Amino acid sequence: MLATYIQTLVSGLAIGGVYALIALSFSITFTTTKTMNFAQGEFISFGAFIGVAALLLLSGLAGGLTAIPGEAAAGWRYPAAALIATVVAGVMGVLIFLLAVRPFAGKRGMNWVMSTIGFGVILQSIGLTIWGPAPVMVPSPLGDGVLRIAGAGVRPQELIVLASAIAIMVIFDFVMRRTRIGKAMMAVAHSPQTASLMGINVNTVMIGAFALSSGLAGLAGVLIAPIASASLFMGLGFALKAFSGAIIGGLTNPRGCIYGGFILGVLESSVGLWQAQWKEIVVFSLIILVLAFRPQGLFGHASIDKV
Amino acid sequence: MTLTTNALKAALLASTLAIASTATAQEIKLGFNGDLSASPSAQSGQAGVLGIQAAIEDLNAAGGVLGKKLSLVVRDDLSQPPKSIQNMSDLIDSEKVVAVFGPTNSGNALAWKHIPNQRKNPSLGCIGSATDITKPAGGADNYMYRVSMVDRAQIAGIVAYTKNRPQSKNVGFLVETTGYGQGGLKDLEALAKAKGLTPVATEKFGVNDTDMTSQLNKMKSAGVDTVLVWAQGTPIAQLLRSMEKIDYSPVTLTSWAADNASFFDTAGKTLAERPIFMRTITEDRTPVQQKLYDRLAPKLTSKSAFSFSAHCYDATLILAAAIKQAGGTDGAKLKEALDNLQAPVAGIMKTYNKPFTPDQHEALTAADYRWTHWKDGKLVTYTDATVESLKPADYAE
Repeated sequence: MLATYIQTLVSGLAIGGVYALIALSFSITFTTTKTMNFAQGEFISFGAFIGVAALLLLSGLAGGLTAIPGEAAAGWRYPAAALIATVVAGVMGVLIFLLAVRPFAGKRGMNWVMSTIGFGVILQSIGLTIWGPAPVMVPSPLGDGVLRIAGAGVRPQELIVLASAIAIMVIFDFVMRRTRIGKAMMAVAHSPQTASLMGINVNTVMIGAFALSSGLAGLAGVLIAPIASASLFMGLGFALKAFSGAIIGGLTNPRGCIYGGFILGVLESSVGLWQAQWKEIVVFSLIILVLAFRPQGLFGHASIDKV
Repeated sequence: MTLTTNALKAALLASTLAIASTATAQEIKLGFNGDLSASPSAQSGQAGVLGIQAAIEDLNAAGGVLGKKLSLVVRDDLSQPPKSIQNMSDLIDSEKVVAVFGPTNSGNALAWKHIPNQRKNPSLGCIGSATDITKPAGGADNYMYRVSMVDRAQIAGIVAYTKNRPQSKNVGFLVETTGYGQGGLKDLEALAKAKGLTPVATEKFGVNDTDMTSQLNKMKSAGVDTVLVWAQGTPIAQLLRSMEKIDYSPVTLTSWAADNASFFDTAGKTLAERPIFMRTITEDRTPVQQKLYDRLAPKLTSKSAFSFSAHCYDATLILAAAIKQAGGTDGAKLKEALDNLQAPVAGIMKTYNKPFTPDQHEALTAADYRWTHWKDGKLVTYTDATVESLKPADYAE
């Protein structure tokens, strides 16, 4: 019985790491620009396929219609592909900010919601033209064998996701709280006008926030691909769950978003132990409860940081 | 001056119309409506069209039907129900096709099945497998026919296997939460009940879930030794991967979605060999099937979709036989002929003797299916003591 609970926890943390990473990416743009990229799901899918293309290009191997050979991800190639996907997605993040967000940011109305969704639709259509609708199985760099932790089974890729998520979060937290760039970002988040008067280039910070946020989404795509298969439709589900995690944890607090993502992952797998079909009901009921009683999210209070 | 030009124009127009109508009068138009480009099942639609075209080539080479050549009008519905409905009206009303083949996605057939019934224009499905497609709707005459797999018949098959397997003591049902999974669960419950089989556990999972260990751990602790799974290819693969995580290996019977290449790739070679399922064609092809396969293989985007070419080929032959028997292409007469086809039709799957009756619109039933599993990356016929003990009567729905 204990093994069952450990399995539930391990499985929950593994998927929670993915949610946390994407939840963080939502938080980054929300705290600095008060806008969000509603095409984040498409950025995840697009990132996964950039990763697929990079793996094939770097290894010089031919990919099948629905899978790419295991050797393609061996050695340095997977980290390199992950880096390429992060950079490409980051550049696209700059594009989406310049084309679809900045013209509307700070103005009344929610035009940026529609324009970012539209950007996502365009991205998905381009992806379908290039790669087609079929899912592509991506190999994990550490192979596919099951590892045992106290009786619970876990795949190497799930540990890679978890480790990458935690590492990125720790680095991000350090940068935000200890460096000048992080302090500039927090200043812009607090009040763009004041930050501007203090000599901070608000525009550059905002562009940087979108590049970082989109880069994270692209990286998440490459990380998830060996678990869920790369598909142009895979991102939306993850993005929705991650957004839910961000709401639960508190959209304005990056740390809270991370906790929210992990809470959501573990909650999902625990509900599965009871009645799996109730998973979505439990998750979204929790969101409604959180919004009703703590609209700032469970960890939202931490946003009052001294800059 | 203007009078003469007008008269000239009128004469020209009249003669062009006359030529056009004689051209169509010598031709019998058939239609295809289904996804050819948008969803993962588009490959099945493409394979189906290849089958219809091959059958038309063969029929035309043998002199056509009632002295007329057959032709095919193809419409892609992009797997969208509204587009599929529009295509149906376009094919029947504007193109004046005699019958429509397809669609690729079952949901689209369910969205437009009232149209063939109202227009009295037979529709022959040869890809989608949802049970309800060929069920009569309302009081209208039923113009929906099928030469393909049927979900309910497959479920009857896997239930019969479980019932006849002496080692299967505790049975569990695992289904995805989509319409496909829920429809399957309804059939699983009904057919198992009819055979006196009671599941000890029923669990559900999302179509995009990547970890089903929680549900499987419940099954494991309930002592389930045989699981019946109704889901699409990728989630079935994820289920097997989760089974491996918790070191749980019950006998696994699944929907035919496990024949997808995406199932094989996601599950990996070893795990993919675990489930057994029903399919109309395996790699052990009959000589007739091999001949069609060799002819179409260069054009097939997915080899495992060849079964749809065969189904659609046969559907075309059956329709041609019905046109011959009806002595024309009137829809009501065609329906009468299809419901009571006199001459046997030697097809790719089998020789069809009276494939349909007024109440039974399925040309292929569970007894025509084959037990299948993956072996060394190929879909081959599966057999064991239980399969051999199954008689046609066991597959009764």
